[in-house]
Amino acid sequence: MRSRLTLPQAVLALFIFMMLFPSKAHAVQVHGPPEGFVVHMMGHIFFTSALIFLIYILHKYPLDNRPAWKYFKISIFFWLIWNLDTFMVHILSVRLPKEAIATGSHLIHSKLRGPFDMERLIFYFGKFDHFLCVPAMYCLAMSLKDFCKRVEKHLQTVGSDEHVI
Amino acid sequence: MIHEALPLFPVYVVDFIGALLMVVFSLIAFFYARRLTILQPKSVLWTYMFWFSMALVALAVSRGVGHTVRFVLLYAGLPTLWKTIAPFSGGLNTITFTSVAVLTFYYSNVRDVIDRVKHDAEALYEANIRLQKAQEALRKLNQNLEQMVEERTRELRQSEKKFRGLFEGSKDMIFFCNKDHVVEDINPSGVELLGFKTRDEVVGRPFKEFFKDEKQWETFRDEICQKGHIIDSEADLKRPDGSVRNVILTISVMKDENGAIKGCEGIGKDITKMKQVTESLIQSEKMASVGQLAAGVAHEINTPLGIILGYAQLLEEECEDNKEAMESLQIIEKQTKICKRIVGDLLKFSRSSSDSEISMVDINECINEVLAVTEHSLNMDRIYINKNLSDRLPGIKGKKEKLRQVIVNLLNNAHHAIEKEGIIGIWTEYDQEADEVRVIIGDTGTGIPPEIQSKIFDPFFTTKSVGKGTGLGLSVSFGIIKDHGGYIEAQSPPKEKRFRDAGMETVMIIHLPAHPEKNETN
Repeated sequence: MRSRLTLPQAVLALFIFMMLFPSKAHAVQVHGPPEGFVVHMMGHIFFTSALIFLIYILHKYPLDNRPAWKYFKISIFFWLIWNLDTFMVHILSVRLPKEAIATGSHLIHSKLRGPFDMERLIFYFGKFDHFLCVPAMYCLAMSLKDFCKRVEKHLQTVGSDEHVI
Repeated sequence: MIHEALPLFPVYVVDFIGALLMVVFSLIAFFYARRLTILQPKSVLWTYMFWFSMALVALAVSRGVGHTVRFVLLYAGLPTLWKTIAPFSGGLNTITFTSVAVLTFYYSNVRDVIDRVKHDAEALYEANIRLQKAQEALRKLNQNLEQMVEERTRELRQSEKKFRGLFEGSKDMIFFCNKDHVVEDINPSGVELLGFKTRDEVVGRPFKEFFKDEKQWETFRDEICQKGHIIDSEADLKRPDGSVRNVILTISVMKDENGAIKGCEGIGKDITKMKQVTESLIQSEKMASVGQLAAGVAHEINTPLGIILGYAQLLEEECEDNKEAMESLQIIEKQTKICKRIVGDLLKFSRSSSDSEISMVDINECINEVLAVTEHSLNMDRIYINKNLSDRLPGIKGKKEKLRQVIVNLLNNAHHAIEKEGIIGIWTEYDQEADEVRVIIGDTGTGIPPEIQSKIFDPFFTTKSVGKGTGLGLSVSFGIIKDHGGYIEAQSPPKEKRFRDAGMETVMIIHLPAHPEKNETN
């Protein structure tokens, strides 16, 4: 009977090999400046894909049309848009030359210099991302509030621990 | 295209206010999520929502604080400090995105698992419901089965009682044998018929033991094996006391579910009495026909005999001197008289005598009168009379002379059977149930051989030597008793123990109706 090498066995074998034949250590690496940006962007992508996945799940397993779920769906939608917006603004901010931002004497005098092509305009208006994330958070709060109301009502009428959703 | 600069102040203001609102809303969301988990701690959705909100609160706080601090630091002219803090704020934001994403994917998987568990639980629940229904159905079925079993048992008990009653109460013999033809069970009538007292005496014996002739059983057995049954076959069964019972047997084999013979069951009907009555009837018919024949012959012979006798007596008067002729004529006269006596007996046998008056007859008196004449001659041969006459004997209507003649005939026969030294027993009794008077005359003689028992009432049948008897005594007696509405029965050996105990070898039993007119009416 042929014995097959399992993954833990392979990892163990590799570990033993590395212990027996040590060379230049790779365990601790220095993470340079772009890595934080990349990680952040990957976080956005990961978040976006999770939200798309959530939308897909909600679409696949449709729930009722009560306000709680409606708020929740709207919240998800705003979070998604917000994600795309911030992702785009992050990219554009990298692409934007340093001199495009004029700090001036004081923060309140900071300006975005022209010429305003599409990129700069998108960057400028994309910076108002709170117009997206605040409604998203608001809808989430409203959704949870409504869920809470429903559960309380249900527990009062039914008086059991049976789930509403 | 716009060439001038756009102020970032609105952006900062929106960031500042938005960040504050974010914190507020995220805290509200967190509050409700927390409350939901408290209300329904087992809910996976609320748990997800709680952690989702937690992550977003962290995001909101991180971003809110980040934006506020940036705004403050930049406004305070400390951009360097902000540059130091900014990566932490960004890193925290990244962690919160990732956490929300992980939670979402995790929730989905958990939800799938939960769905599967729920589905399994529902399936289990449904299976439980089905099981409960099945159990209920089974319980009902069991209950029903119990009721059915109870009902069937009751029916079976009733059936058993019915058939047991039939078995026990039947006047015919019912028996069961195993495959070796050994009796396994028999009803009380069967035990009695076979002459035993208890069932245990019969059970365990081979059935062939009860057959008088073993060959007869073998014939039956072969027929049963071949055909599977015998129907209404006549058999002679012997009893321990030596008597024989005529039985009609119907036997059929019993088979098990595989068709193998496991034994036989049968019914036996005792026809001994019926056979005797039938034989008696046949005898009566035979006697009647012989009587008619004899009457005709006697009537025709009587006249020539009278003439022969008359002429013989005339010739005797004329031949008084001729001694030789006289002797011959006397012989002729003597023999002719014998012939006349025989003819007279025949006529008596055949026709209903009208020369004797019908009156109330006391049978005991009749017997005593006969004994007064005959006892002396019997005593001469050392034959003594054992008389047992009943005091409560009713009178019977009949012809005294004729009845006396019957008693004389029977005493003569008993005398002949004993020859020398013996006892003649005479009993009279009244059977209230049958309403008949019985006269039993028995003797301690040699008995009647079985082969001639059926012939003793035939005319001219005699065991006496030639010249001593005509063979008409019993025939005549039979005719007389028949005229009185009764019958004569011969038993040798006697069936009743009391007669056997008295030493009787043969008994002749005269049955006379005590009140013939009543019997006729009935």
